[in-house]
Amino acid sequence: MMLVATIFLPLVGALFLLAIPGDAKALHRGVSLLTSLVTLGLAVALWTNFDGAQAGFQNEVQATWAPSLGISFHLGIDGVSLLLIALTAFLGPIVVASTFHAIDTRVKEFSIALLVLETAMLGTFAALDLVLFYVFWEAMLIPMYILIGVFGSERRIYATVKFFLFTFAGSVLMLLAILFLYGKLPEGSRSFDYGALLTLSLSHEEQLWLFAAFALAFAIKVPMFPLHTWLPDAHTEAPAAGSVLLAGVMLKMGTYGFFRLAMPLFPEAALAAQPLIAGLAVTGIVYGALMCMAQSDVKRLIAYSSISHLGFVMLGLAVLTPEAVTGAVYQMLNHGVSTGLLFLVIGMLYERRHTRAMDAYGGIAKVTPGLAAVFFIATLASVGLPGTNGFVGEFLVLSGTFLGKAALAQAWSVIAAIGVILGAVYMLTLYQKVFLGKLSAVNEKLRDLSLREWAVTLPLCIAIVWMGLLPGPFLDLMKKPVQSMTERVVGKPAAPERPHFPGALPPKLQPPRLPWMNHVPSMLEGVKK
Amino acid sequence: MKFDPADLLAVLPALWLVLGGCALALSEVFLGANPKRAYQPWLAAAFALLSLGTAARLAPESAHAIFGGAATADGFSAFIAVIVAGATALSALSAGGALREAGAERGEFYALVLFAAAGMDFLAMAADLVVLFIALEAMSLALYALAAYRRRARNAEAALKYFVLGSFSSAIFLMGAALCSGAAGSTRLADLANVPAGGSGAGLLLLLGAALLLVGLAFKVAAVPFHMWAPDVYEGSPTPVAGFMAAAVKAASFAALLRALLIAFGHAHGAAGPSMWEPIVATLAGATMLLGNVLALPQRSVKRMLAYSSIAHAGYLLVGVAAAGLGDAPTATGAVLLYLATYAAAVIGAFAVIGLVERGGDGAGADDLDRFSGLAQRHPGLAAAMAAFMLSLAGVPPTAGFIAKLYVFRAAMAAPLTGLAVLGVLTSVAGAYYYLRIIVYMYMRTPDGETAPIARHATAGVAIAAALLIVVAVGVGPESLAKFAIASAALASP
Repeated sequence: MMLVATIFLPLVGALFLLAIPGDAKALHRGVSLLTSLVTLGLAVALWTNFDGAQAGFQNEVQATWAPSLGISFHLGIDGVSLLLIALTAFLGPIVVASTFHAIDTRVKEFSIALLVLETAMLGTFAALDLVLFYVFWEAMLIPMYILIGVFGSERRIYATVKFFLFTFAGSVLMLLAILFLYGKLPEGSRSFDYGALLTLSLSHEEQLWLFAAFALAFAIKVPMFPLHTWLPDAHTEAPAAGSVLLAGVMLKMGTYGFFRLAMPLFPEAALAAQPLIAGLAVTGIVYGALMCMAQSDVKRLIAYSSISHLGFVMLGLAVLTPEAVTGAVYQMLNHGVSTGLLFLVIGMLYERRHTRAMDAYGGIAKVTPGLAAVFFIATLASVGLPGTNGFVGEFLVLSGTFLGKAALAQAWSVIAAIGVILGAVYMLTLYQKVFLGKLSAVNEKLRDLSLREWAVTLPLCIAIVWMGLLPGPFLDLMKKPVQSMTERVVGKPAAPERPHFPGALPPKLQPPRLPWMNHVPSMLEGVKK
Repeated sequence: MKFDPADLLAVLPALWLVLGGCALALSEVFLGANPKRAYQPWLAAAFALLSLGTAARLAPESAHAIFGGAATADGFSAFIAVIVAGATALSALSAGGALREAGAERGEFYALVLFAAAGMDFLAMAADLVVLFIALEAMSLALYALAAYRRRARNAEAALKYFVLGSFSSAIFLMGAALCSGAAGSTRLADLANVPAGGSGAGLLLLLGAALLLVGLAFKVAAVPFHMWAPDVYEGSPTPVAGFMAAAVKAASFAALLRALLIAFGHAHGAAGPSMWEPIVATLAGATMLLGNVLALPQRSVKRMLAYSSIAHAGYLLVGVAAAGLGDAPTATGAVLLYLATYAAAVIGAFAVIGLVERGGDGAGADDLDRFSGLAQRHPGLAAAMAAFMLSLAGVPPTAGFIAKLYVFRAAMAAPLTGLAVLGVLTSVAGAYYYLRIIVYMYMRTPDGETAPIARHATAGVAIAAALLIVVAVGVGPESLAKFAIASAALASP
């Protein structure tokens, strides 16, 4: 029941807001902040009651919804769902509090859209009935459509319609695929239940078609190259809060969809599509990075960097080794935190100067040292510096890919590694252009972070460092779900082979093993060489 | 033919409507001097609700032939009677304020609406070509008059167009009925099924007759390529009438189409009769979805846009009909019934909102998209309701429209009509574009100049609130309506 409460509390808050008159702005802000904080509290409680050592789903809730169609209200979480729910609930109050200043008109609509969006996102991560999943998945579109279209900048209508149509077009074919799966179950026991559909045995050709339908929906959401074109527009035009949720949570819907649905349901097809997905993923990594270098708009740059970062996630998922998939899931969380923070800070800059052009800034670290410091931490996380969360994820993905058995694995990891280098180049260039250099006269009066702004950025900074230094608890939670997913798709791995590298350091000279290194069994030595 | 008084019980829903129509027409005679006619929409709605209540209580298992087999009273006809009565009540209420403001509130209007609805009830029950034709005409004649109700140039043009094309389609239908009865030696739908198929003279005659019948009914449901009348008529008719046409006429015509096709011309799993119509209906469905959605895209008049959208929805419904012909008929029929019900609620609600918004101005441009600019700021409740109707028409969860599409596409996938289902969902993406555009105008644009104030009317408010309740409640908790639709789906075969 706690899961249901966590998911639907924001919706209850939104319904409550409906009854409050629109001019009581402070009340709207207060209620939405309170709601999202309590939701966060519930998510924390979920986490503490969660048993990471147990395989399968926990906190399951199953109730009939539309039995004549076989839809049930089936929710449940495993470690990966839990982490993503925690991420969503964590970003919730931050996003709400970050908009107290930026959004001053139509606060009621804004708050309602934000809370409804939160419920839809939380529900998507917990749905274990495919139609329920689809309902949450589509329900996300409407509030986000309003957030971008009403509260965005100049080209908001174009951006929001493009966003809606791209995502909608992708997902309708998924709906047909879901209906097809339903029809494959024997008459009498037909349902849309995830567990039941996992038992289906589908022919190779069916799997390919169905995987294609699911993958299209998810690839648009991720977004994977070349289906990414909605993203720069949507991110750029969205209000800061919208960008944070879009980048922080919504893009993970796509990768989560691959992890939870597309790959486990159609394992043969997932393997068959491996070269394609991995190829598009590394293309996205490099393409996104190159596009970043060409941007003069700060927000657009971060948007393209998302394409590059999500490329890592997709690469890790495609490779299907436990390490790489673990890294991919970790990278989902990282991207949520670090890119969320980047968009927040850019939103704060925009509030001050009302421009997103890189040239308009320069040298402002002198007047806004706090803002610069926060941005720098986010930059480092985004670049993947050791000690930040980005490093752990990227390292796991790259090493998992390199040592995986997939065709061309080494080539992919090398190309992806080039993406890491390019990432450092564009992110540091961005930092340099905005915060270092000569301070122009117009920028001399910029204020530094206010107390409220510190309050919203600091938790994210702490998360970045925490997840970088102590990833153990997070990785432990992923272990079982990742294991069951990869085993389902590629089968149980043979006895772990410990590659012997001639000239490896004798055991006592080896560096101390950090907890997360256990997830990189033995290959650590090799990579260190 | 012996008259059995018990048969009257089965047509009680229609009788309530006729009674209501008479009462409202007579009210003009006896109470005509009374300048206050505010009671009229409520009275009409009350009779419609009586009809709805009676129809809902006619249990599906009570299926039986009435009037010596000329009509069938079954769950299917009862469900259509529920939709028709609901649509009538909502249309009467939404018409109330608009008519009074235009100084056109008369009992005749409601009487005509109720008479048309009674015709629709019979249309859904008809098991005989002659009854079918009479019911069709009873419905249509009242509608021709309604289209012309306000006697302005646009109304007259729309009404004339509707009348000429409608008569044309009636004539085609009649010709088809004549050929069919010639082939079978009987006008009973069930007897048509016994005509031997194939190259025999009677078989050929039946084939030709069936084609003409299909054309006649395709006109009524506005399926491509027999759709040309719909945009002009919807745009020119008084707005509440357009909503009534889209919701109720569609429900009744689809009922007639389904019954005629399934009973008289058989389906794949029924042994009787040729089942040649499924590919034809599937082709019509594909063309209708495609053209309806594509032509709706460039419209600026919201009524015209909804007219093309109603064509597109006819396409989705035809997918269900084709699925009934190829696959499991009761499942597909149930899906069509559910779709008709949810579509009726959303489209009447939408036309009721348009009726309020277009009020300040009159004539061309009164329902231009621009008039919706900034509606969310001025009338948040109205805008939210309209947004819900649009999302339901687009089939976005969690609205009723999504549930209906889910059932129809499930039937199509099971039939299997996979290609048609794919075309259906892809065209619904185009549909999403133009439905969303209204939301864009309401929420994301600011009006250019002065905006005409929107009067508040209790009747229209009740109609919109009721439609909104249906759209949301069915979207969130679809089971009871879905179960009702599925239980009503089995056509009584005499």
